[in-house]
This record gives sequence, structure tokens and C-alpha cells, in this order.
Amino acid sequence: MDRKNILKWLKEPGKMGHKYSLWAVYFCTGCGIIEVPPTITSQWDAERFGVIPVATPRQANLFMITGYVSVKTLKAIIRTYEQMPEPKYTVAFGSCPINGGMYWDSYNTIKHIDKYIPIDGWIAGCMPRPEAIFIGVTKLWMMIDKGAATGYIRYRKNYKFYRRNQEKLFGKLPWPPLYPVDEKENKNG
Amino acid sequence: MDEELKRKIEKIYKDTEVEFPERNRMVVKTKKASILSILEFLKREGFRQLKAISCVDWIKECEFELIYHLAPLNSPLHIMVKIRIERKNAETETILKIFENAKVYEREIHELFGVKFKGNPDLSPLFLENWHDLPPFRKDFDTRKYVKKTFDEIPSVEDRNERT
Repeated sequence: MDRKNILKWLKEPGKMGHKYSLWAVYFCTGCGIIEVPPTITSQWDAERFGVIPVATPRQANLFMITGYVSVKTLKAIIRTYEQMPEPKYTVAFGSCPINGGMYWDSYNTIKHIDKYIPIDGWIAGCMPRPEAIFIGVTKLWMMIDKGAATGYIRYRKNYKFYRRNQEKLFGKLPWPPLYPVDEKENKNG
Repeated sequence: MDEELKRKIEKIYKDTEVEFPERNRMVVKTKKASILSILEFLKREGFRQLKAISCVDWIKECEFELIYHLAPLNSPLHIMVKIRIERKNAETETILKIFENAKVYEREIHELFGVKFKGNPDLSPLFLENWHDLPPFRKDFDTRKYVKKTFDEIPSVEDRNERT
């Protein structure tokens, strides 16, 4: 920690709080979750960076999507993401959530995950090593400092379009919209 | 034990062929009509475990091949009972009365190949979500076309922001 930064932190103490306690929801998709147990246990010890896995999305504010996402898993991912309290940050791991990776012509794998939920950071690789995860986490710190990690704000702002994309894939969704969808209703009310 | 079993099967079921492709592997090729009785016979002989049901799409011959994998609990022999069914209106009897765990296997094959199992009460979708196309494991299903139709058509939200 740098003493010069103390004044800056006193101005915005919330930012420092978010930055150094990124609690990750322990949600496993695909093969990337193999890299997470060594990352959070004593060999690499992610707790140095403030990253702890927690059991429920209600306590978490970091969502790591660790590998390929099938259509059925995407439904669970959206429900988990919508349950997390704000501010929330999402990081996509590996090449599969980025552009499909080796499943680019598979009938049941999501190709671009950012069409359905907003993504703040991408870690390339198949699979990324734990060191790459820490580089990603420190990059996320810088983004939080600058105010560039705005995934949850974009989700609120463009919720209509995200919801429309989700419904194109699933048909009608069984849960009600998180934010009001129709803008006209909003203005009248 | 293997030769004895082979003689027994060929004696009872006239239209079946029994082969040994490898050590401890036995292939029984039979007709669709006699599958229930042959499985019941094998279960009485000690093959009490149904490991899996698999399906092969022979598109040039216009046939599906269903393979029932059986194993006894006390010897390393592995039996594959193979039947062929027509590709059009693919239908066969369920084997739920003999092996109860076939319920999920049959459900999976119905979803991925479109083979109907008469008598199975639950053939609802297992893995796929909102599926209105051909069953995906059939050889004439074009995955690339399907991907273009469903996933690539969906517009990107972030790009829309940059344009406006």
C-alpha cells in the first residue's frame, strides 16, 4: 500500500473496499474451473489479492465464467448474475466464452457471451494459468480505480437489448425482468 | 464360459450371429423383434448390469444401430447386443421392464437421434433448450448452418452503442 494514495482513498472509500475484496461466486462452467482450486488454495493463494470464493451469489461481487458455456448453463449464469448485489464485475476465462474457441461450430455452445451479459475483463488462453488470473485481477483493480469497470451500469442501461437477446435464444423467460423493459411506460409513470 | 454361452444363444435364437472381435468382448447381432427376449435371457444368465445404450447413424444404409452394453458383475466379459432399425419412423420397444435404468438412456437417444421408444413414459428433453430443429446427432444435421441461423443472427449489444 502506498501512503500517497491515502488521501485519494479517503475521498472515495467505497472504491478501495470494492477493489480489495473481490469475492467470487463459486460457479463452475467448463474446464476452467480446474485452474481455480490451485489458485485459491495455498500454492498461489488468491486471498493475497482479496479474492475468496463464496457459496452464494448474494455475497459475491466477482463472477468468473470459467470456460465454455452451454445453452442450458447460460440460463443459470443469467439468474446468478441478476442475483448478485451491485457493484458486480464479470471476467470471462479462456477462448471459449470469448468467441466459441474450439466449439465455434457446436450446436449447443454459446459463441459470444457478451451478447447476453456484460463482461468487464477477458483473460485469453486455453486454459489461462493461475498467474494469468492474478494479472487479470490486478487489471480489474486498475479499471475499478479509473471507473472503467462499468458492466453492471451497462446492463442496467441496455437491459432491454440484453433481455431481447436472451429471449431470442430461450423463447419466453420464466422469471420477470430485473429492470423495467418498456421505456415508454417508464416515461409516463 | 464364452463358447458355451454362444452355443446356447445360437441354439435358442436362430437368426442371431455371435462374434468375438476381441478377448472378453462379445457381439450379438439380432433382429428388432427378439431384443426383449434375448435381453431377458442374458439377464437370467448373470448379465445383470446395463452399462449403456448407444446409437449409430448408418446414413447410407438408411438405418440406426442400437447397441445395448451388458456386463456381469463377476467376470470381465462385455456383451454388445446390436439391433438395426429403419431410419424413417425410427421406433422400437422400450426395455424398461427388464432394466429400469434404461429410462434415462432411452430419453437421451430419443433427444439426440429421434428414436422413439414405445412404452417409455418420459421422453421429454434432457440437455437441449428450446430446440425446434432436427435431432443434432443425426448425420444429415448441419451444425454450421444451425450455428449461423441461431447464434450469429443475434446482434451484439456493445456494438450497437458504438454506432449510435
